[in-house]
Amino acid sequence: MPLRLIFRNLLKHKLRFVLTVAALGMAVFLVCVLRSLVVALDAGVRAAKSDRLVVQSAVSLFVDLPLSYETKIGSVDGVRTLTQFKYFGGTYQEEPGYFAQFGVDAGRLLEIYDEMEIVDGSQEEFARHRTHCLIGKVLAEGRGWKVGQRVPLVSDMFPRADGGPWEFTVAGIYRSRSSTVDESTLFFHFDYLFESVESGSAEGPNGAGVYAVLLEPGADPVAVMRDIDAMFQNGPQRVQTTTEAEFNAQFVTMMGNVPFFLSMIGGGVLAAILLAVVNTMMLAGREQTRDAGVLKSLGFTDGAVSGVLLTQSLIVCLLGGLLGVAAALAVSEPLAAVLGPNVAGFALTSEVILQALLISLALGLLAGLGPAVRARRLEVVEALRAEV
Amino acid sequence: MFVPLSYNLKSLLVRRASTALTVVSIGATVAVLAGVLSLQQGFETLFKETGRADVAVFLRPGAGSEGESGISREKADVLKKSLAEIALNAAGLPLASAESYLAVRMRKLDSGETNVPIRGVEPMTFEIFGDQIRVTAGQRLRPGTDEVIVGRKLTRRVRGCQLGEVITLNTTPFRVVGVFDCEGPFSSEIWGDLDRIADALERPVYNRVIARLKPGLDVQAFAERMADHKDVPVKVQTERAYLADQTGALSITLRVIGVFLATIMGVAAVFTSTNTMLAALAARSHEIGILLSVGFRPIPVFLSFMSEALVLGLFGGVLGILITLPLSGVETGTTNWNTFTEVAFAFRVTPQVMKSAILFALILGLFGGALPAWRAARMDPVEALRRR
Amino acid sequence: MSTLIELSGVSRIYTRGGETVRALDNASLSIEEGGFYAFMGPSGSGKTTLLNLVGGLDRPDQGTVVVGGSSIDAMSGAELAHWRAENVGFVFQGFNLIPVLTARENVELPLLLSPLSRKERREHARNALELVDLTDRADHRPSQLSGGQQQRAAIARAIVSDPRLILADEPTGDLDRASADGVLDLLAKLNRTLGKTILMVTHDPRAADHAGFTVHLDKGRLESVDEKVAAAGA
Repeated sequence: MPLRLIFRNLLKHKLRFVLTVAALGMAVFLVCVLRSLVVALDAGVRAAKSDRLVVQSAVSLFVDLPLSYETKIGSVDGVRTLTQFKYFGGTYQEEPGYFAQFGVDAGRLLEIYDEMEIVDGSQEEFARHRTHCLIGKVLAEGRGWKVGQRVPLVSDMFPRADGGPWEFTVAGIYRSRSSTVDESTLFFHFDYLFESVESGSAEGPNGAGVYAVLLEPGADPVAVMRDIDAMFQNGPQRVQTTTEAEFNAQFVTMMGNVPFFLSMIGGGVLAAILLAVVNTMMLAGREQTRDAGVLKSLGFTDGAVSGVLLTQSLIVCLLGGLLGVAAALAVSEPLAAVLGPNVAGFALTSEVILQALLISLALGLLAGLGPAVRARRLEVVEALRAEV
Repeated sequence: MFVPLSYNLKSLLVRRASTALTVVSIGATVAVLAGVLSLQQGFETLFKETGRADVAVFLRPGAGSEGESGISREKADVLKKSLAEIALNAAGLPLASAESYLAVRMRKLDSGETNVPIRGVEPMTFEIFGDQIRVTAGQRLRPGTDEVIVGRKLTRRVRGCQLGEVITLNTTPFRVVGVFDCEGPFSSEIWGDLDRIADALERPVYNRVIARLKPGLDVQAFAERMADHKDVPVKVQTERAYLADQTGALSITLRVIGVFLATIMGVAAVFTSTNTMLAALAARSHEIGILLSVGFRPIPVFLSFMSEALVLGLFGGVLGILITLPLSGVETGTTNWNTFTEVAFAFRVTPQVMKSAILFALILGLFGGALPAWRAARMDPVEALRRR
Repeated sequence: MSTLIELSGVSRIYTRGGETVRALDNASLSIEEGGFYAFMGPSGSGKTTLLNLVGGLDRPDQGTVVVGGSSIDAMSGAELAHWRAENVGFVFQGFNLIPVLTARENVELPLLLSPLSRKERREHARNALELVDLTDRADHRPSQLSGGQQQRAAIARAIVSDPRLILADEPTGDLDRASADGVLDLLAKLNRTLGKTILMVTHDPRAADHAGFTVHLDKGRLESVDEKVAAAGA
């Protein structure tokens, strides 16, 4: 394989080479980002733990389950422990930007979500005082918050009687080993919320939100789900117990066709680029007609000569693919930070990278096919007569 | 003197393949942008254009949407009966109605779940909106009964919404007795009797009050008065303003996605068209040599090639719009992130979308043609003539 | 002297736009090994066609072409390519060097088809370049070489894999007088000292003077084969 010839041919028209690789790079970059988005949307579903269940109202996500359900659910066979999970909907006044907050059972949170790992501060500190909270690593880094940081939150759902904000203090920072728990969330004591509403120092719905349940090892999830649902069949609030995977999936299906559209767009982008690369390769093929004739006259087989053009196409596309992947990698962390609270788990996985590179190779093959076949079929004598 | 446009047009026709390629490349990029913008336009117009300026929406102060809002029965009564700003119907009764609102979990016809808004209404609601609400099948719901009517768009997307079917809310069954249509988001809702719904869902408070306002009222002043009202402080907006607020997050997101995609694909398209035009140029260097030697100055030559690029951009833009047009009217649905409810809307390829598309296409053509045109203008006529 | 090439009843027919052209019509010819043959005749006489057939660049429609005992008309495409690499070196009127490679790299190109190592390839190329007296310009690209230098590079490329046969199609057609003479002398030297069989198509009667045999063609037919008689007293 005349490699030197191949590389020289590619660099003969430098601007054309650079533009083609750059255009490919952009397309592959886009595909990587779109694919990562789709993967992220599914991430929570795929990573879901099979020993966790979520008990929610059968009617609506927005209906709280009664507090009395806690002991009742806890008594079901197979349930090891559980926590309330109440969405707070607060805003941090000083700096806008959304992040989720949940009121939970501070003592049991980390037992149930054992993928959470405290990297700063401690679980004991968090449990010690009602106004302490736990924040995710991405949230902490994004806002420069450290242990001890005061986080005043104002919630439309839970206005305080004194008109002021809810005061929380960061007692710990966690990271998650799995995409089931995102690192942009703030967890606080559900008890704090409950007692404030009970005593009148704040207004708002006095329910537990949903319950997250940890199963005993070896318990049958299906049986437990059935038992919990049956327990509340006659109210006051009917429940729907699902696996954690199903619970996360409902958010994904809510997105409706969005993932589908994203994939379609990715496909459209690739198609447009493919056309462009095909044209460039065909042009190069035509320009190298005489060279092909020369090679054949020297004794290179038809296959070898077509291989030269195919290799050129593969190199261009692979370079473009690498460029696109590199760009996506460079951008993925900042992008994840921006998307963080809304799309958890956005990351450029090795799966996506591999897919991107394979797609680049496929593009290279497709684009090089036409010129390669043409070169194969060239009659030496005709080819030698071609203009350069 | 200027190079006649006919020269450029003829050249484009002669080099059909590369012309077609550039046009398709620009067209695909424009189509993607237009597609996303049409999605956003469809979503926005659903809300923005259907809100009425003569209907006021009363919410709890600080509530961003009726889902977050709560108005007690007593307060609702006071609002309905005591405000002079509310218009009266023929019988002298205030055109005001209390409503409850909850996003209820239901299964989609294809797969997965979604949240459907259930609205408890009073008979006065129908009077307030008059002809806007049309029952297209079955009959209106009778007050005080466990009957519901469903918005037309739901019949095609959500299970259990056909005439005669029964929807169970918590533990109470409600029968679908009619299908109604309305421009605007109501057509994705299920309506039932206010108090029956509130009982079934165990909602102790209502969500909002709506009222038809007397003509000529200064809504802004009214809102300011009501914000500080000593008995019933409320947030007042026209229905139009309220709906506009609901589009927030999703609308912006779609716009952002559209711009992001368009930029990346646009850059790739510019690279591609530059490449193609450069190649076309190289093949026409002899012609350019002739043009220059015959007496055309560089600037007219530059303008000539720029106009060629603009024509390519124009064709690409038209192609992109043509590709996107079939989408217009296609219904899709996703979750409105403000209210977390399913909202069905149609793609709308509005004049604004088309304008943006053409503008974008022309810009692509401009950027793509700049370098080749510049090179053409700077060619040395003697060199150029020598080639071929 | 043995027969290297045997053409028997060879015809090559083209159909161009409804018309049939007999580029070569029932030609039979024997070429002796180590001979230097000049093929002459007016345009369209079939000289180049004959050269292409002998070199395996084209296939006859009728007849056989036997070179060094092998019937090349019966070979498959891949076999022909392989045979060409081992047995033939081409020199063209338009030089046909690959523009993106230097003279040295062009000369090395045919050796990529051989099992030689990189070092050996460089060695052989160096020798070939020395032979054609192009060592000092070897690392320049064709665009930086004069016509004569390019042709010499092409000749070096033609002999680098030590083929038995050199086929030259109007090798001096694009050269000035001085360069042309240089090239012809070179070819004659290759024939004399290395025993290469050379078939050269030419318009130039002076070129023919360098050859030992002159073959005349007209309208696709072989007219005559004249052997050059050594000048008396030379």
